[in-house]
Formats: sequence, C-alpha cells, structure tokens
Amino acid sequence: MDQGLTVLGIESSCDDTAAAVVRAGDGERQILSSVVAGQTDLHAAFGGVVPELAARAHAEKLDLCVEAALDRAGLGLDRIDAVAVTAGPGLIGGVMAGVMCAKGIAAGAGLPLVGVNHLAGHALTPRLTDGLAFPYLMLLVSGGHCQFLRVEGAETFHRLGGTIDDAPGEAFDKTAKLLGLPQPGGPAVEAEAKAGDPARFAFPRPLLDRPGCDLSFSGLKTALVRARDALVAEKGGLTRADRADLCAGFQAAVTDVLAEKSRRALRDHGAGAKAFAVAGGVAANSTIRAALEGVAQAAGLRFVAPPLSLCTDNAAMIAWAGIERLRAGHHDGLDLAARPRWPLDTARPALIGSGRKGAKA
Amino acid sequence: MRHEAPILAFDTSAAHCAAALFRGDASLAQRQEAMTTGQAERLMPMLEEMLAGAGLGWRDLGAIGVGVGPGNFTGVRISVAAARGLALALGVPAIGVTRLEALAEGLARPVAVIEDARRGEVYLQVFDGGGAAPRLATLEAAAAGLSGLPLTGSAADAAAALTGGAVLAPAMPLAEAIARIAARRAGAPQPRPAPLYLRAADAAPPADPPPRLLDA
Repeated sequence: MDQGLTVLGIESSCDDTAAAVVRAGDGERQILSSVVAGQTDLHAAFGGVVPELAARAHAEKLDLCVEAALDRAGLGLDRIDAVAVTAGPGLIGGVMAGVMCAKGIAAGAGLPLVGVNHLAGHALTPRLTDGLAFPYLMLLVSGGHCQFLRVEGAETFHRLGGTIDDAPGEAFDKTAKLLGLPQPGGPAVEAEAKAGDPARFAFPRPLLDRPGCDLSFSGLKTALVRARDALVAEKGGLTRADRADLCAGFQAAVTDVLAEKSRRALRDHGAGAKAFAVAGGVAANSTIRAALEGVAQAAGLRFVAPPLSLCTDNAAMIAWAGIERLRAGHHDGLDLAARPRWPLDTARPALIGSGRKGAKA
Repeated sequence: MRHEAPILAFDTSAAHCAAALFRGDASLAQRQEAMTTGQAERLMPMLEEMLAGAGLGWRDLGAIGVGVGPGNFTGVRISVAAARGLALALGVPAIGVTRLEALAEGLARPVAVIEDARRGEVYLQVFDGGGAAPRLATLEAAAAGLSGLPLTGSAADAAAALTGGAVLAPAMPLAEAIARIAARRAGAPQPRPAPLYLRAADAAPPADPPPRLLDA
C-alpha cells in the first residue's frame, strides 16, 4: 500500500525562480501547483543571463514563490512530506540561494531535505507527465544543456553523447542577439524562420561526419556571424527577408543535427527502450519537435514530449525527482552542498569542463 | 505563554559563520567559525548545534536576526535566503540588520563605520542621529567628510590616517550586535530581509550592436 508523498520543489539554477507542490501515490501523480517567476526583463539589456543579477533576484523571490505554490495547492507546510531543491548543476549563486531557502524551510518545518540534480529533474519529467516506465531514451536540449541519455532508473543515467561546446538554446539566443531579435531567442528565431527560406544559406551541420551522438553548435554560430557580416558589408544592413532567411537556415541546421544524432542514438542504444522522450526549452520549437517525432516514428518508438511548461525550467520536475529519490530511500542533511558542476552520468568522460574542477554536466 | 522567546541571529557576509542566540539580554550561545568557503554547508548544522546545546529547537524561536551586508555577495545571500526560509516555516519574523549598523552597535555617537570594500573603495555610514544612508565611496572621498569623527570598521585605520579621527574597536561580536538590534525591532512589523549590496552587479550591455534593418 502506497501511502503517498506530497513534496515541495524549489528550482533556481538559471533565470527562473520556481516552486511547486507535487503529490504522488497509488500510481497517481498530481501537480497541485507550479509557480515560475521568470527574469527575462532583468537580463534583456545584456543579451544573455547575467549570473549575479540572476542570483540577486532569486534570493528575494524564492520564499515568495514557495508561499504562492503552497497557497495555490491549498496546503500548509504541515501537509508537506519533504522539501526537494535543485542542488546543481547551474549558476551557483542562484543554486545556493535555493538550497539555503530549502534548508531554512526544511529545518523550520522539521521536514526531510532532498537535493536534486536539475538534469535528473528534466530527465524524469516523462514519468511525471506520462508515467513512462524505464528504460527510455531522452534528448535533453535547453539553453544550457544538450545530451542524449538512456534512463535506466531514477538514479541511473547513461549518457550516450552530448554537445562538446554550446547548447542549442544558447545558439538560438546568440542568433537572436546577432540579428537584433528579442530574448529569449528561441521563440523569436522560430517566428522569423517561418517566413524564411531555409535553403538560401549553406550552414554547416557540425559533427554529422563523425560517428556517435556527440554534437557541436559553436561552428554554426560562427557561420551565422560570417553570413550576417557579409550581408552587412555588401549593403550596410539586413532586409527583413535576409533576417528571416538567416533564421530559417540556422533553425534547419540545428534541426538536421538533432534529428540525425537522435536517429543514431535510437539505432545504437534503443534496444528495449519504451519511448524516445524530449525535454528542455528547445524541445518547444515546433520544427525541431516535428523532426524528432519523425525520428521516433521511423524507429517504431513512442514519442513523449511533456507540455511546454514542464519542458522549460520548473519546480514540479524537481519535486517529482525528489519523490523518486525519497522512494529510493535517499535524503540529504542540512550540510547539503550546492554544486555548479554535477554530471548525471559520472562514469562517462567529461564532454565539457573537463579541467581541474571536473565535468560540468 | 513565555514572555520572551529566544532570538537567533546569524551572519555569513565575510569569511565566517557567525551566530548568537539570545533570550532577552541573556546570551545563550555564541559562535564564530572562520572559513573562506563552505558557509552554505556549515551554517545550518552550526545553528542546530547551538540550539541543541541550549536545550532549544527551531520552534522555540520568536524571531530571526540576519546580517544583510554589505559584504561578500554570495555570503550575504546564503544567510538571507536561509533566514527567509526559516521565517516562512516558523511563522516568525526575520529581521535584516546591516553590517554597518551592527558594527556601530554599543558605540557612542557620533561614529562613522567604514569598511573595506576592495577595489580602493569603502562602505561608509555615519551614525550621528541624522539618518545618513550607507554608501560606497573611494577611501579619499569618504575620508573627506569625516574630519574629527571617531571611526570603526576594517578601513578605519586607513581612513584615520587621512582624517586624524580616533579608531574604535567594535563594542561586541558581530552576531551579538545583530541579535540585539533585531530584538529591538522585533515588536514592530518589518520588511523581509534583503541583501544590502551597495555595489552594482558586474554586467555590461553587449558591445556589438545588432545590424541596421534596411526595410524597417
């Protein structure tokens, strides 16, 4: 008999402050509330997330988000069974603020504290939304991350490949910035691309000539800068059509790379997998999503894409991952450390950040 | 109902975890552990040890006092975030006290608190009953307005060399000062504690302007 768990989740690893209450038991999973306070306006003038500005905002918003989440769930802390918090990887100032707020709540309310890996939150979301059974393949593709995972258990992740430089979401943001489009770049570039000709510019498809599932996006960014600069040098600026064509060409290149590498991941590592799932903000791009769905169909695998609000950063996924950890018998002490770097699969050599401080993600 | 519930004050605005536990005027426990890193891991266990040593639990507290800086940005956030989480869960007020107020606590007025802010700058606040706001200034600019005033703080010696003012030692440990000030304020409604940075975040707008739209 499953007596059920109701967990408060807290997330602050990038530029969203989030809190949520999730209940699970008897095979049911219910998001009782999910509050996300974004910081888009705060960073708009800087063309990217400024870590110190993000940390400043998190420190003064976290408790307000938690109160809002409890209020919307209609529960007091006396009805909560544990506090789950993102303990990394991410921008350390924000992660630390979240971890400390969670410690304060856990200590004050006498509740267990569970540190959650932000990437595990994304990777386990298909189990929250669709009740997916293990194992499944996962493409985690966001502003900060890009990796293929084979998810074997709530704490068993095999990384099949990932980006060796930038994340696609970061490349979308950079593209928007280079072309004078608003941040976040993903939706802005996608909207522009609708009117563009994806074939006008011959952008590279990095690493498609190499075997395996590793990806690279920094060369694509450079190619976009060159194409833009050539147009500006020729006529002193860009036309709307130029801008749309650049966006369409860029999006097509990212789509091709993600689709082909997904095809390989499914071909080489799909044995026994129950589904191909995606998560992360880039999975919200409809062109990319359609291509990935096509890859899953061709491989005869179910395609699972959580709703947008659970693809981008949120705290419901952290509460859920906390539930999975609690069910596995784990929780943490008040000495829980915030970790800027925390790979999901520690057995694999690092793709990025392999220096003195160890693998990033 | 007990007349005076204990107050727990803590601070991680510099290279330490500091805390004081008071009931009224009586100090129940005080700790200051020096550390340049690891405050986020150490703070809460240290506070639990202090409470346990005094035979108290979190739910016995009547208020939280917290140091809000200025100081190390991350360090200030560690304590402020913990204090706000505790206040939420315990239903007691968390009261922010600045490092400058705390350093002036127990000293005769007027006094100028002048703290090293690095990069050739200082955090400065004059306590003379006039309600002057805390600010960031170069040491020279700060010293120019302080002639004859007694000085305290980590940049007091450097400022005294320019002003000739007397240098005073703090009257009490930092966390004790935060506890005493917070206790005085606990009777009235207080805003949630927020970090006092004084220095803006390092953030520059992009150097590369976007291209001109020819058919805008």
